[in-house]
Amino acid sequence: MISFSQVTKRYPGGHEALSGVSLAIEKGELVFLTGHSGAGKSTLLKLIAAIERPTSGVVSVSGQNISRLSRRAVPYLRRNIGLVFQDHKLLFDRSVIDNVVLPLDIAGFDRREALKRARAVIDKVGLLNREKANPVSLSGGEQQRLCIARALVSRPALLLADEPTGNLDAGYAADIMTMFRDFHQVGTTLVIATHDDRAITALGGRILHLDHGRIGEASA
Amino acid sequence: MIGWLRHHKHAVLAALRRLGAQPVTTVLTALAMGVAISLPSGLYLGLGNLARVAGGLPAQPEISLFLDAGASAEQKQLIAARLRQPDIAQARYVPRDEALAALSAAQDLADITAGLPENPLPDAWVVRPRTASRDALVRLSDSLGKLPGVAETHLDSQWAERLQAALAIGRMGVWLLGTLFAIALIAISGNAIRAQVLARRDEILVSRLIGATDWHIRRPFLYLGALQGLLGGLAAGGVLAAAGAALHAPVERLASLYGSTFHLLPPSAAEIAVVLGLTTLFGWLGAWLSVTRTLLQVETAR
Repeated sequence: MISFSQVTKRYPGGHEALSGVSLAIEKGELVFLTGHSGAGKSTLLKLIAAIERPTSGVVSVSGQNISRLSRRAVPYLRRNIGLVFQDHKLLFDRSVIDNVVLPLDIAGFDRREALKRARAVIDKVGLLNREKANPVSLSGGEQQRLCIARALVSRPALLLADEPTGNLDAGYAADIMTMFRDFHQVGTTLVIATHDDRAITALGGRILHLDHGRIGEASA
Repeated sequence: MIGWLRHHKHAVLAALRRLGAQPVTTVLTALAMGVAISLPSGLYLGLGNLARVAGGLPAQPEISLFLDAGASAEQKQLIAARLRQPDIAQARYVPRDEALAALSAAQDLADITAGLPENPLPDAWVVRPRTASRDALVRLSDSLGKLPGVAETHLDSQWAERLQAALAIGRMGVWLLGTLFAIALIAISGNAIRAQVLARRDEILVSRLIGATDWHIRRPFLYLGALQGLLGGLAAGGVLAAAGAALHAPVERLASLYGSTFHLLPPSAAEIAVVLGLTTLFGWLGAWLSVTRTLLQVETAR
């Protein structure tokens, strides 16, 4: 589903976030990206979602070459990818349910159908009693779950999560990892950047270890 | 197709909500646009009315052909045939009796004409040539004057040329002002939309990340610009209507002093539609420029 071939990403200013990375992730796999902060985990995820373009090498997602993808084609790629951000990127000018409905609005869903699906997903992340609330009033863990709900509402085949349990206490983190396992079991491909070792041992799956932009694989 | 319509419906509703959410800004922007548009459209209307004043008079060059009192019927027929040639746009025969009646009626000279022992006026043709160039007119006038049975020709073009030239300057002025204020309109709309785009930066960034196309992001702003332009056009209509109401009485007073029943004519429905259409278009255009530019800036400044 995802393949990197000799991918290098150099940011303006000369910092090389990834150096000659090659990897392949199959459909339905659960992959953890580990490594110290600044090792290139976020960059790798951004390359998959075409938020960044590689400086050299080939990134391909579902058979599409990301480096050659036109600006017009990017949105359609992203509609098949659920993105969970470390900083959530929620919109605070609208309610919980309106945040979750946004991807479906963008994809042109019927409003009633969209609200139904949004409610189901909000229920799954345990926020149904807060659907009318403003995200600003949610705790960090709830905001993270809201972000996950928004990533999942369009039922993407691929979920990319950047430190989804980064600043949560152990209880919330375990909840969220359990949710990820459920999605993995229904066939979603997951790529999760984390340094939460407990979560990795609890879920199992492949581990890709990044060190200063280079890859070293270890299996758990 | 249904999804596409739904997107447009969403965009229109979102645009209306945003206009309604900031009523003061909306009204002020509409007024700024309205004042800008009312200047060229007001000038256009003024010229239209002025041309109507001039329209009662021969605004195009005319040649008057006065016939010899003793011209034979055959000669008159030859002259009439000559005036059917393609270089003549229009020719009107004015028999001497009709001319006298018109003179008595038009200039309140009934007392004087009634006292005349006989009609002193000759039969005449009023000829409107196709050409407007001065030299060609003079040549045509001379050649018509040489026709047998024609006593005299009178080329009445000078003041008509001056009036036409003045009106042409006025019309050019409308175009120049119109162009300038169209640019102003685009700038006003672009600025208003830019503020809106910057205020919704987060929404734009997040929408891009979760699969919104450029058009999806642009659409509500484009509707916003178009609606704002339409409101601007309506505001211009209001400004002009107010100006027309204020001018109505003084103009009628002036006209009555000249013994005329002239009064200001409001714009036609088609003219109003054109102005509203153009302001909507320019509002849209300003929004398009602004949102496209800001989109690129917002994305590169990520």
